[in-house]
Parts: sequence; structure tokens; C-alpha cells
Amino acid sequence: MKRLWWGALALLLAASFAAAQKLPWQKSERPQDVRYLFPEQVSVPAGEDSVVELHFRINPGMHINSHTPSEKGLIATNLILPDGSGIKLDKVEFPQGSEYSLRAMPSMKLSVYTGDFVVRAHIRATSGQHLVQAALRYQACDVNACYPPRKAPVVVDVIAK
Amino acid sequence: MKRNAVVIAAVVIAVGLMVWAGVLNYRHRQQQEAAVKQLQSMMAQPAAPSDGSSDAGADGSSAGFGGFMEHPLQGKMAPNFTLKDTEGRKISLADYKGKAVIVDFWATWCAPCKIEIPWLEQFNKQYASEGLQILGVSEDNLNLDNKTELAKEKQEIADKAKDLGINYPVLIDDANVSTPYGGVDGLPTTFFIDRSGKVVASTVGLAGRDEIEANIKKALGSGGQS
Repeated sequence: MKRLWWGALALLLAASFAAAQKLPWQKSERPQDVRYLFPEQVSVPAGEDSVVELHFRINPGMHINSHTPSEKGLIATNLILPDGSGIKLDKVEFPQGSEYSLRAMPSMKLSVYTGDFVVRAHIRATSGQHLVQAALRYQACDVNACYPPRKAPVVVDVIAK
Repeated sequence: MKRNAVVIAAVVIAVGLMVWAGVLNYRHRQQQEAAVKQLQSMMAQPAAPSDGSSDAGADGSSAGFGGFMEHPLQGKMAPNFTLKDTEGRKISLADYKGKAVIVDFWATWCAPCKIEIPWLEQFNKQYASEGLQILGVSEDNLNLDNKTELAKEKQEIADKAKDLGINYPVLIDDANVSTPYGGVDGLPTTFFIDRSGKVVASTVGLAGRDEIEANIKKALGSGGQS
């Protein structure tokens, strides 16, 4: 019985230690390059078309493709709303991108967002409170390198009356 | 009574160890975040005057930040891999033993890759007779569960490679071969492997044309002749 106790204790210790430590071969995920800022909560009239302005911030030194990239094959920024959230996304207005060129090729003009930007989502909500868990899909780059596409979580509490 | 004391002591030690592990983990994460921020600020430095002395000019000389850091694989044997190219042929890194090999991780959505690839293609022609082999490895996301989508995605990679004028093999990474290369994140990421299979240089992000050529010469010049 005593041995069992000690065995269980040793197992608990080993498991807790392993869980708390980052093992050398475990690569930590890159932090998001885009953050959703606000609003966290909006009140809209139920069943009517409403515009919600979603504010985002891109990390300094980074840029993301605009909604309309200048080159074919580049990944556009998009807002993704999962089905069944009680909200209908009628239309999304994205800002126009600004022109950006890599120093090694000034002739390649890219359409990007940097800093803060606002996306206007036209929504229609059924009566009630809806916790909308949307996402902004983007693909970020810095001056030299590009990073795989990511989804930044966009969580908004929509109260429709 | 004695047994209770032992159990309490053991629990206290266990809790203490957990707290200690948590603190260590927190510190480790803080250090990693600081390193990432430092890296980002280094890369976000404003362009130096275009006198050709620093950063990339139109000729792309010394553009990269690859020179700032040494990759953990530097000086080690390049991990072997076997992948299919856009034509469906199986290609292994080991097939090119005795040659200097560039393994270039890229993606169709990567704008800096479009600048680097034509340079690589030029070097491919220029140094092929000396024993240089370039392998492009596409890091595009693949829908491995949907055969139709997968075939479409592979075709898109092949089309983009053709558009970019790539004549060297373009391999499709459907087996996460980038993981043993450090889990390639920023693209392009390029490894320069000498004739003995050892990584002699690497660059993360768009390197300058001159830097790439210098690394090619380094790879060709070490590890013995073919």
C-alpha cells in the first residue's frame, strides 16, 4: 500500500513537471501579428441591417495583404463568420490597401494594411444575445520574410433587441 | 501521525515543484517573446540610405537579415528527406551526395520568394557545372484529406513554379519535412549544404543576392570535391 502511494506521488510529480515545462523540441507558436481591438459588445436592432465597425491593430514592422491584393496568388485578408451564430453577415467593407514595395524590388507594388485598420461588417441579428466568434484570416510579412496565413480571433457580444 | 507528516511533506514538495516549474516556464516564455520582439524590431529598421552600403538596393545586394543569426543546424548534417516533385518524381536529398545543395523553402503566397527565386534560377545555371543543385520545397498549405483539393493545390504550385521560370526540382512538402529543419516559419528560408551533406549557411527571409552567391561558393568549396 505504501509503495503504491509513493508510486502515485512520483507519477504525479513527473506528470506535473513535464506538463509545466516546454520541451526543447516543442516549438512555441508565433504570436499573432494582428489583434482585434474592439468593440467587445454591440447593441443592434433585431432583424435589421446594422453596421459594426471592427477595429484591428497590426504589430509594428509587419504588414498584411489587403482584401484585394495586387498580385494573383497572394492571400487576401478576410472576415470569417461561422454558421449558426445567430448572425447573418450581409456584406463586409474592407479599407483600401496602401501601396508597399519590398526594397529589393521597388517595381513590385503590393496592396497592404499596416498599423490600425477598421473593417465594417453589415450584420443582421435575430432577437437575443449572441456571442459571435468570428476570425480575421490574414497573411503577414515583414520587410524580409512572409509568414503562413493565420486567423485572429474576433469575439463580439451582439445584443439584438 | 508520522505517516501523515510524510504525506504532508510530500504534498508540499510536489506543490513547490509545480510552482517552480511554472515560474521556469513563465520565464522561458518571457525570454522567447522578448527575442521575437527584438527580432521584429531589427527587421523593422528603416531603410538605410541607398548608397549600396547596407540593406537591399535594386540589385538586392546584402538585403537579408540571415546574417544576424546562426541557425541551430549550422555545421550539422542536413536532415534527409524524400518528397515528390511537381512531376510526381520521388526526390531525396541523399540523391545529391557529392554535390552542393540549396534547399529553398518557399510558398506561392510569399512575395519575397518571388524576388529570390529568379536569382536562384540564375545561380542554378551559373554553378550547375561546378556541382550545384537547387531544390525548392513548397510550404503551401495542403488539404491532405481531400484528394480533389490536393490535386488542385499541387497543380497551383506547379503553375506558379512555371510562372516564376523555375527549372530546378520543386518538391511538395506533404510530410512536414520542414520540421527537422527547425519548423520553417518565415519564408523564404534557405539552407546551403556542402558536398558532404553539412549545412554551411542558412538565411531566413530574403537575403541579398551577394550573400546568396557567397553562401553558394562556401557550399561548393567545402565538404570535398565530387
